[in-house]
Amino acid sequence: MSTGTAKALELRGLRKAYRLPGGRSVPAVRDFSLRVEPGEFVTLLGPSGSGKTTVLRTLAGLEEPDAGEILLDGVPLTPLPPHQRHIGLVFQNYALFPHLTVFENVAYSLRIRRTPDVRIRDEVEAALKTLGLEELASRLPGQLSGGQQQRVALARALVMHPDLLLFDEPLSNLDAKLRFQVRSELRRLQKRLGITALYVTHDQAEAMSLSDRIAVMRDGRVEQVGTPEAIYARPATLFVADFIGRVNILPGRVVDRGGSGVTVEALDRRWNVAADRCPGAAGEVLVLLRPEAVGLTEAGQGDLAGTVEELEYRGDQTEYRIQIGGVHVVVVESSPRRTRRIVEGDRVGLRVFEDTLHILPAQREG
Amino acid sequence: MVQATGILIARPRPGLRRGRALFSLYPLLVLGLALFVVYPLGMLLAQAVQADGRLSAGTVLGLLRESYYRAVLLNTLLLGVSVAGLGTVLATGYAYAMTRVAMPGKKFFHFVALLPTISPPILMALSLILLYGRRGLITNGLLGLQSTLLYGFWGLTAAQVLAYFPFAYLLLLNLFRGLDASLEEAAWTMGAHPGKILTTVTLPLLIPGLASAVLLLFSYSFADLGNPLLLGGDYPVLAAQIYLTIIGLYDMPRGAALALILLFPVTLVFFAHKRLAERAAFASIGGRASSMRHPQFRHPAVRIGGLLFCGGVCLLILLQYATVLGGAVTRLFGINHTLTLKHFASALTASRDALVDTIGLAAAASAVSGVAGLLIAYFVARSRVPGRGALDFVASLPLAIPGTVVGLGFAIAFNRPPFLLTGTALIIVAAFVVRSIPYSIRSGVAALRQVDVSLDEASTSMGATSFQTLWRVILPLLRPAVLAGMIFTFTRSVTTLSAVIFVVSPHWALVTPTILSQMDRGDVGEAAALSVVLIVLVLLVIHGVPRLLGRDWREGTAA
Ligand SMILES: Nc1ncnc2c1ncn2[C@@H]1O[C@H](COP(=O)(O)OP(=O)(O)OP(=O)(O)O)[C@@H](O)[C@H]1O
Ligand SMILES: [Mg+2]
Repeated sequence: MSTGTAKALELRGLRKAYRLPGGRSVPAVRDFSLRVEPGEFVTLLGPSGSGKTTVLRTLAGLEEPDAGEILLDGVPLTPLPPHQRHIGLVFQNYALFPHLTVFENVAYSLRIRRTPDVRIRDEVEAALKTLGLEELASRLPGQLSGGQQQRVALARALVMHPDLLLFDEPLSNLDAKLRFQVRSELRRLQKRLGITALYVTHDQAEAMSLSDRIAVMRDGRVEQVGTPEAIYARPATLFVADFIGRVNILPGRVVDRGGSGVTVEALDRRWNVAADRCPGAAGEVLVLLRPEAVGLTEAGQGDLAGTVEELEYRGDQTEYRIQIGGVHVVVVESSPRRTRRIVEGDRVGLRVFEDTLHILPAQREG
Repeated sequence: MVQATGILIARPRPGLRRGRALFSLYPLLVLGLALFVVYPLGMLLAQAVQADGRLSAGTVLGLLRESYYRAVLLNTLLLGVSVAGLGTVLATGYAYAMTRVAMPGKKFFHFVALLPTISPPILMALSLILLYGRRGLITNGLLGLQSTLLYGFWGLTAAQVLAYFPFAYLLLLNLFRGLDASLEEAAWTMGAHPGKILTTVTLPLLIPGLASAVLLLFSYSFADLGNPLLLGGDYPVLAAQIYLTIIGLYDMPRGAALALILLFPVTLVFFAHKRLAERAAFASIGGRASSMRHPQFRHPAVRIGGLLFCGGVCLLILLQYATVLGGAVTRLFGINHTLTLKHFASALTASRDALVDTIGLAAAASAVSGVAGLLIAYFVARSRVPGRGALDFVASLPLAIPGTVVGLGFAIAFNRPPFLLTGTALIIVAAFVVRSIPYSIRSGVAALRQVDVSLDEASTSMGATSFQTLWRVILPLLRPAVLAGMIFTFTRSVTTLSAVIFVVSPHWALVTPTILSQMDRGDVGEAAALSVVLIVLVLLVIHGVPRLLGRDWREGTAA
């Protein structure tokens, strides 16, 4: 199974508002632009209601955009109805046809296109084999587990050899362990087949592990696009920083500017921040400190001193809430690293990994 | 948070522990149902299976041995199958267009399709006779034919399809709406055009629903009395034969035996329909439906097709109503089209008693059916009184029984001591109530299921008796459902013919039998005028009463 040449997707200025009965309208996507390279795996990540599903449905043709362009290798898709777009969509609830067997579910798109029976058999069997479903071909969807249904849905989309593959939270109905397993399989498969894919999730770990690039969405817009590393380490906005992982947000002030970066004052101390981590920063700023970018040491050592106010033991990790001169900082450490147990009320020293500090202008807040 | 969820979880625990007041009504309901459902059916059965005072299947078997009655049975079956097939096709197309095609005018189409459900079924026979009868406007007036084609199979099929397909449409509308939208969307993205989606996904998933619609129409056609009486001609069917045997030949045992022959297939078909409908509803709303918003196809051909189809069907329905109206305001429709109000004048004077009695008795029936239906619903859904399952079954039984059979059972049972009720208002009200109480119960149970058990538990734990709980807490929440049930009872009562034709008496005249006898006498103008008055009245009640009562009562009764 291979898909021929992968195509590039380009979305320009997409807008969509839902009209409610009674005349009110709910903006769901506003001025959304994104380019997905051929064979690339891009994830739309955003909180509930940020418009992710709407973007996917508009791409598939299930919703009509109010404005904007959708181009697949430069060809506009908007005039085409869904059945002429050749885009595979994997639904959150899989949407398997309950009255058809696994084989017939997968064969559906081929039968619609009047493919000869012999080819249908070959293609469907190949797709079932790829996903390890050969044994289940004659079952009905109701007789499958969640993970198996998920695979059938994927096989059904792959067998069309779509120009573009869309996923709407396909793993959200699986339990945690299965989700982890299917996630890595999915990624391997997409790489092998080289299909251009757009994936929707609100699970950041899923987005991080699957994607070539992530587009973080907020209120129907793209807030930031970048590789998982870039999004995590160099968030463009406070929203992105806060949505992806956890972060301590500390008030600070730029006190010096050099060729290699800036010097910023925060927590009564000066820090050097590399130039690519302080986009346009001057004056009052916010200093972003990831909880895992701090290590605890004996009192009196390290860069800062504080008092443990609260701690939460989680097995593999321990989370501390530490007060440093009136400011609270959350620190997360891998648990087994320490022999002496720290308890609430202890004085501790903190070592900050200065390279990971990131600065955002203060006025971008909110 | 944690404490609050403990209260919000609805446990299927009855909220009734204190309070005897409500339970003292339970035996009353049981007695009522025994007297007006079980007893008449039993008497009918007894009448049908005895000969010369002994138990015998002789009458029934004798009838089945006569080739004439075998032909009647075959006629009835053939008509039922045709009406069921044709009606289901119409209903499916209509429901599909209404739920899947992006087209204007849906509110109007829905309203028109519902008109027949609130009209007396004989209205269709009346209008068809005015248009296509011996002196019909189209057959005789325009084409100069002396056609009798209308009086028989074709006319009956047309009348029954028009009168009953809307019921199948309502059933299918809900099922089309209940299907998981993502299935059709998935097919769409996989390359299926709207027509292919319909044939490969939508219809296969709706098979139980379609079968249930077929069975529903079949049982309606079987049970219909009015249209066969007016259009039967040389195509005798069972229900009409029962009427003629009783009214023409005064042969009770024979009539009862025929009623039994009618009852058997209808009941069978009805219970099959019910099971399938439940399965269809389960199939469509079971599972994790992702979205209830279905694809609205915009392809020009689909939109034009949908508009033409719904428009055509609407036109056909409206033509019947326009014809009846035309018949009501002209001297002699088809021959003398001078405008006149004399038919209306006579409808409002000569038939005034019938109108007044019908409204009064139907209103009384609504009240009884509303209260009794709610009580039974409460016992069924919220209590653990012994026998509540049987109570529900018996009270719902009339759904499965043709009106003719109910009416005949009443006539046989209450024409003799110990319960001599013939000629009273009570027997008519009872017939109305028996025919409609299943719907009151269903709508009450459905509404009660929406009301959290913890509400009445809270009320009961604060010391309220079950009666107070019902009155103060539950009733206000159920008002729309109770009102819908009462309006339904009213509508059904004023439009039914089969259930009351055997129990009307000179003391209490009713509208539908009056229309029938006017038709018999050839007073089509008066019959048409009276029909128009009746429909206007029903529309006024359906749309006016909820508005009069105000907002609290209105939600959910808009249908
Ligand atoms: N059919 C609809 N009618 C009206 N408003 C809608 C409809 N579908 C979505 N919306 C609104 O559009 C906005 C975006 O919804 P969308 O489903 O695209 O969000 P999402 O990012 O997929 O959210 P989730 O993570 O919860 O799936 C929301 O405000 C939502 O309420
Ligand atoms: Mg979504």
